[in-house]
Amino acid sequence: MAQEYWTISIDTGGTFTDSVARADDGTMLVAKVPSTPDDPGRALIQSIDVLAGQGLDVKNVHIICHGTTIATNAILTGQFSKVALLTTSGFRDVLAIRNGTRPDIYNLRVPRPTELVTRENRIEVRERITRGGEVLQKLTDNEIDRVIEELRIIQPEAIAICLLFSYSNDDHEVRLATKVREAFPNLSVSVSSEVVREFREYPRTSTTVINAGLRPIVGSYLEKAQQSLTDSGITAPFLVMQSNGGCAIATRSASDAHRLVLSGPAGGAAGLIQLAKQHQISKVIGLDMGGTSTDICLIKDGLLPLQSSQTVNDHTLLAPSVDIHTIGSGGGSIAYADITGRLKVGPISAKAVPGPAAYLRGGNQATLTDAHVVLGTLGNSNLASNLTLDKNAAVRVITELAGKLGRDVTETALAIVSLSVAQMVRALRRVSVERGLDPREFTLVPFGGAGPLHVGLLLRHLNLGRALVPNLPGLFSANGLLTAGVRLDAAQTLLTPYAVNDIESYALWFAAKHLELAEKLSSDGVEQNQISFETAIDARYLGQGYELTIPLTPTVAGIADLPELFHKAHFDLYGHFSVYQPIEVVTLRTSAKGAFPEIPPAPLEIGNQAPEPQALIGYERVIFPDFPEGIDTAHYQRERLLAGNILDGPCIVQQMDSTTAVLPGQRVTVTLLGDLLIEEVNS
Amino acid sequence: MSATSVDLITQEIVEAALTSAAQEMGGALKFSSYSPIIRDMEDFSCAIFTFDGDLVAQADYIPAQLGAMSLVVKSVIKEWQTDINDNDIFICNHPYQGAMHLPDINVVAPVFFDGEIVAWAGTAAHHIDVGGVNPGSEGPDLKELFAEGLVIPPTRLYIKGEENIDLVKTITANIRDPLSTISDLRAQRAACNLGRNRLLELIETYGNAVLQQVFTNSLDSVEAAIKYRLRELSDGVGDAIGYLDDDGRNGPPTKVRVQVTKLGDSLTIDLSGSDPQVAGAMNVPWSSTRAGIVYAVRTVLAPELGTNDGLLRALNVICPQGNVLNPFPPAAVSVRHNTCQRFADTAIRALVDLWPDLQVAGSSVTFFGCNIGTTSPSTGQPTVLADVVGGGTGASAEYDGLDGVDTYMSNVGLMPVEVLETNYQVRVLKTELIDGSGGIGQHHGGMGIRREYQILEHSQHATFYAEQTNPEFVALGRNGGGDGEPAKLTLLDKNGDIVPIPSKVSMDLEPESVIRVETSGGGGFGLPER
Repeated sequence: MAQEYWTISIDTGGTFTDSVARADDGTMLVAKVPSTPDDPGRALIQSIDVLAGQGLDVKNVHIICHGTTIATNAILTGQFSKVALLTTSGFRDVLAIRNGTRPDIYNLRVPRPTELVTRENRIEVRERITRGGEVLQKLTDNEIDRVIEELRIIQPEAIAICLLFSYSNDDHEVRLATKVREAFPNLSVSVSSEVVREFREYPRTSTTVINAGLRPIVGSYLEKAQQSLTDSGITAPFLVMQSNGGCAIATRSASDAHRLVLSGPAGGAAGLIQLAKQHQISKVIGLDMGGTSTDICLIKDGLLPLQSSQTVNDHTLLAPSVDIHTIGSGGGSIAYADITGRLKVGPISAKAVPGPAAYLRGGNQATLTDAHVVLGTLGNSNLASNLTLDKNAAVRVITELAGKLGRDVTETALAIVSLSVAQMVRALRRVSVERGLDPREFTLVPFGGAGPLHVGLLLRHLNLGRALVPNLPGLFSANGLLTAGVRLDAAQTLLTPYAVNDIESYALWFAAKHLELAEKLSSDGVEQNQISFETAIDARYLGQGYELTIPLTPTVAGIADLPELFHKAHFDLYGHFSVYQPIEVVTLRTSAKGAFPEIPPAPLEIGNQAPEPQALIGYERVIFPDFPEGIDTAHYQRERLLAGNILDGPCIVQQMDSTTAVLPGQRVTVTLLGDLLIEEVNS
Repeated sequence: MSATSVDLITQEIVEAALTSAAQEMGGALKFSSYSPIIRDMEDFSCAIFTFDGDLVAQADYIPAQLGAMSLVVKSVIKEWQTDINDNDIFICNHPYQGAMHLPDINVVAPVFFDGEIVAWAGTAAHHIDVGGVNPGSEGPDLKELFAEGLVIPPTRLYIKGEENIDLVKTITANIRDPLSTISDLRAQRAACNLGRNRLLELIETYGNAVLQQVFTNSLDSVEAAIKYRLRELSDGVGDAIGYLDDDGRNGPPTKVRVQVTKLGDSLTIDLSGSDPQVAGAMNVPWSSTRAGIVYAVRTVLAPELGTNDGLLRALNVICPQGNVLNPFPPAAVSVRHNTCQRFADTAIRALVDLWPDLQVAGSSVTFFGCNIGTTSPSTGQPTVLADVVGGGTGASAEYDGLDGVDTYMSNVGLMPVEVLETNYQVRVLKTELIDGSGGIGQHHGGMGIRREYQILEHSQHATFYAEQTNPEFVALGRNGGGDGEPAKLTLLDKNGDIVPIPSKVSMDLEPESVIRVETSGGGGFGLPER
């Protein structure tokens, strides 16, 4: 059957750019090319070329979806545009003072936080709005002209405007922005009441500035990428993954650049939702382990966990983002002995260069990867990207460390692995137990290059029922991009006591926003019947400083349930509530989602319970924590396994982009979709 | 309890779980509390204690509270002995029974397993008001503890899970904004309950014997690490003197002297050269002095080390009672934190006197605090604005100092203007860094902050105070670096005319008066480039 249409997803990571193309008949093509940080668009086009070489018909691409680290990298590496910031007179240092605390209280020698806008580029504007939105000092036209003159001297690449109390009255911001835009038609102007209309001046200023600083960079990147795609013959809508786990059309993404900071990991989260749906499981913990860090994300009932604020390189950013817990533990994490002679692992990483000692790229410190090489879990043959592992080099660095710890080599390697697993267990518990959720009810989904290597140990230490290692764990995030659909958010801060009389006006706000968002989605090519909404009200007891997000139906009857839902949520979280205390409505929130047409995955060929003989690579001695002498362990080639195959642990399953390690006492079942289901035999 | 062997991995895992339990307690407290000083400025702390009250794990909030909290737990144990029951929760703000000053209310909960206390979970939080003559319960010129506010000795806030209504009614009747204070106490209780649940989960997973052994190992390893570090360093004697601007009552400067002797793995800290206790409220109760010692020693010797009470075991401290750093009751203590900051600065100087490699320039010890008895614009009810303004930190051989942060033993945030004006009848006219306030040097000292508060609507009683206004007592530069600028406090009447005031004052302010504070800058490090 001829392929009618294709979808493409491209995930740019720190080391590799992964891409997946799928046709409506189930055909799937994959490509992995080195990332090109100097010009990320180049890797994008190389990916398309590789896919086209495998049979992708560029003329019949319907959707192309992209996960990018361009925004994160711009902030982390300081390649931020030169921003001029306009603030209320007397408050130009809000951005520098931040919240007035130190990150590391016991250390008197600490680096200063990075500065997004230098002091001389922060301009004070004579105006003042009060808490109630009344004008205390009017913004005059003369003052606006004076500010524009100052801007001309500074010659910024982008302009951010954040005035006090603009969330309650945006008149001054809007007037200022209009004139500034007229004076600088070629510059992007970010206005706090448009970017993030929420209270507390520091986070609002910082978010507006991040938006301003990223817009030129993200904008030109996306524009160039779009142009290159057009040049390659692709006319499909070009979508970008946002931090909130949904995609947005690239042309609109530039003005919302601050919403792309978690674009990369959000693809993995979207993939988890899809996997959970395919397997009909309601609770999943994803563990995406790469070379330097591990991202953990918990999915319940098919819903993305979102947080409203995050810290990026010292700066607070308000934007709905997938709640991903990141720890500095990866395959390249360095193991060392501290001053008291205790073993520590990470968070410093050997990264890709010099890398673990076993890579023979100049690394001479013991890493987690080296420990696995010593133990035999990683095999001693070859990895993806034509990398050969050198066991002698690994043994040498682990022996050196063992000397400092007064232990033998095997003990040390096992301890490194156990400590790393302990860090992961702690992080996994942090996102589950600490939110009152029992991890034992969850299915673990390890992905990324190093995730499946730890699946057996994690399963056992967390006492989990089961784990699923997806097909192509290394390409899981790229695969996830297309499953996300389009998502747009809207919010309005109110800060008013909850009153029955206001319910109708809230319902009207939701209705009006839904019309507006639906219109945008259909102009992005989403069918009307594929659009759905999630609505919520952020509320708190009058006098509290932080709010709870209460999902509800945006009708008059639904909003009337707010007090009851709020008291219950407060009780569940903090153990107390009071029906006598007034409730304050902080923010109305809604998001519109539009689904893409789904391409069902192609099922795997069904085989016998016993794997085909050619799937077995052979037996090697592998050391596991409770078996320090080592056990003869079967090594399988994942690409040769068939649905229904059952493998008994201990075993190692190797594949192009990852290695799965299964402990004695565990069992692997290959599912109909080709995922590896791993369970404890006696549970 | 018999010794149980715990492998290093389990030790590491359980220790981290204890720290994360304390952090989680902090989250519950912050997000469910009412007062900006807790929820926005994070003037609170959370920690886990052994069955007999030693602090074993903490969330890094306010060192001045963390280094003292175990004394509260020990006071509760001493006072209540066998009459402590499961689901009881204790409260205490008594500075002579382990607490620090009256606004810092400690709420601590025993953790029972098999009918025995196996641990404690505790919180300390700065409340906006606990009664007394001044809104905010602080007064530099006050002479007795009784004038400062309601003194709560170790008593039960909850008895077997039920709120102790008699006590709550007594507290309610003695304070200015009971809705905020009682709600904040409930948030502290929510945090304690959460801490207790986390400890019980750990016991369920690992067993109580393992937990107890982890506690022991954890205390031992901090003691061992400090001793190890001491052995690495050279022997010697250090001596430093620091001065407060006054005694809280506009009197002469108060002297703080720290003498240290290091020999092998022993470190003696002698505070007996400090002035006798003073007439005003600048006296430091022993609990806060103890916190200052923990802070200075960890900061100089091992910033990366976890803190617990094992650290104190490695030290020998001399501080006779009657000293400004260990007063006899009922000396007033409410503004003790200014003295604490000066003490921390002096103790750090005494220690680095011994080891020049570890030196850093001095940080601001202004610790400007203000309490304004005001009203809530939304309810019209009385309440108290409590704000703290940080200053510049000292530069080091590696880095410039930080601008506008709370320093040393404190780490309270600056109240956001939009929060402040929404909650109180006060307007902020200005919040900015002060150009040139940091000492010059190869690395510059951090800048101080200028903030102006304007009184709105009605006459309001304000208590405000700043240290380091005397140009002789500024933050010192090091290795050729310049000193920081001193702090300055100015009061403007409604016509904008300057009203002369001392650096620590408690008075009624008419509408439109403006308090302007300019905090001190940090010292520079190294000779400036020419």
